[in-house]
Amino acid sequence: MPDPQFDDALRLMLPRLRRFALWLARDSHAADDLVQSTMERALAKASSRRDDESLRAWLFAILYRLFLDGKRRASRYALLLNALGRDEAPTWPSAERVAEAHSTLAAFASLPVEQRSLLLWVTVEGLSYQEVAGILGVPIGTVMSRLSRARRALRALGDGSTETPALRLLK
Amino acid sequence: MSTSPPSEHDIHAYVDGHLDEPRRSHVERYLARDAERADEVQAWRQGAQQLRALLAGDLAPVPAMDPVAVRAGVHERRVRRVALAAGFVLCLGLGAIGGWAARGMGAGATAPMADAMQAYRLLAVDHGLGLDISTPNENDLRAWLSGRVGADVRLPDFADAGFRPMGGRLFATDQGPAAMVLYDDGNGHTVSFYVRPPGEARHLLPRGEREDGGLLANYWSKGSHNFAVVALADAAGRLSAEKMTTKSF
Repeated sequence: MPDPQFDDALRLMLPRLRRFALWLARDSHAADDLVQSTMERALAKASSRRDDESLRAWLFAILYRLFLDGKRRASRYALLLNALGRDEAPTWPSAERVAEAHSTLAAFASLPVEQRSLLLWVTVEGLSYQEVAGILGVPIGTVMSRLSRARRALRALGDGSTETPALRLLK
Repeated sequence: MSTSPPSEHDIHAYVDGHLDEPRRSHVERYLARDAERADEVQAWRQGAQQLRALLAGDLAPVPAMDPVAVRAGVHERRVRRVALAAGFVLCLGLGAIGGWAARGMGAGATAPMADAMQAYRLLAVDHGLGLDISTPNENDLRAWLSGRVGADVRLPDFADAGFRPMGGRLFATDQGPAAMVLYDDGNGHTVSFYVRPPGEARHLLPRGEREDGGLLANYWSKGSHNFAVVALADAAGRLSAEKMTTKSF
């Protein structure tokens, strides 16, 4: 049964989910599919959500798990293709990576999935460390050490361009 | 204030601006003493600010994913799936019904008039032992035949071919009552004339002949009955069957 209040809350979260999906999948079609699946899952599981659970953390968690499941399936598929002697393209063309390495954005884009998610949740979406720990299903101390690693990685990859924010990359 | 270094949690909270005043000063005092750590934390802050600035613009509206639209899409897909499943079941059902209706349709084609050959094997080999009616009188036989198998069944006259009737016998077959009339040429050669309805499937036969187990069968359909002339598949049998078959049309 549709709940207009829940619908409104979901609607408000949509752009944020899409932004997260874009930075996870790094492909707008895949991102839209992810958001679509997340919405379907959220609508189907709305009743199983605990009331004290933050809606945004819950939605991010759904999307994140869907993405990881999809990636796992894709890597199994790639493994199969490799076993058949075919090469699957890497997720991010390395030439492009080199060319864009001098921007924070490119550094961010080239981080591992979990570090990208962590930084996005914490710095852009403003999720609390507790919410992030809930999404990842790890203790808060683990979130802290992973966040340190992610920040060091971002700094290492983006080094040399910190003086000039890559504003020209904004479209 | 203690001089112990702040926790990892507090460092991050400082970077993200979550710290309240006394703890923020504590972190700042610690960073003032450790230039290397201060550089790192400063870089983290910058990185976070840049990310916020760069990614804030990505908030595009996504109309197709409105909860109402998604709910409708899911419903529509479910309906389509049910329809697909129903179609599948329907196809399966039609296939099963068709298969049931077509059962045995090809059975006659694989061995046409096999029952006629069975009947010959049963009786002609014993030279007419076990006939229902034993008479060389063609009129009696004709009456017997039309009364039991069909009024329109004509008993052929094989006298020219040198064959005289010995008698007849009825058989119950899946297709209906069948009759066999045995003919004898007086030299120990026996030929049978076999007639039965084509059955519910109205499986009529093109004219043909086949051999099986030392017997030769010529068969055809005429009107609403299937016919066969069965003889031994030797030279004499072939000759008599040929003569009788040409006479039967």
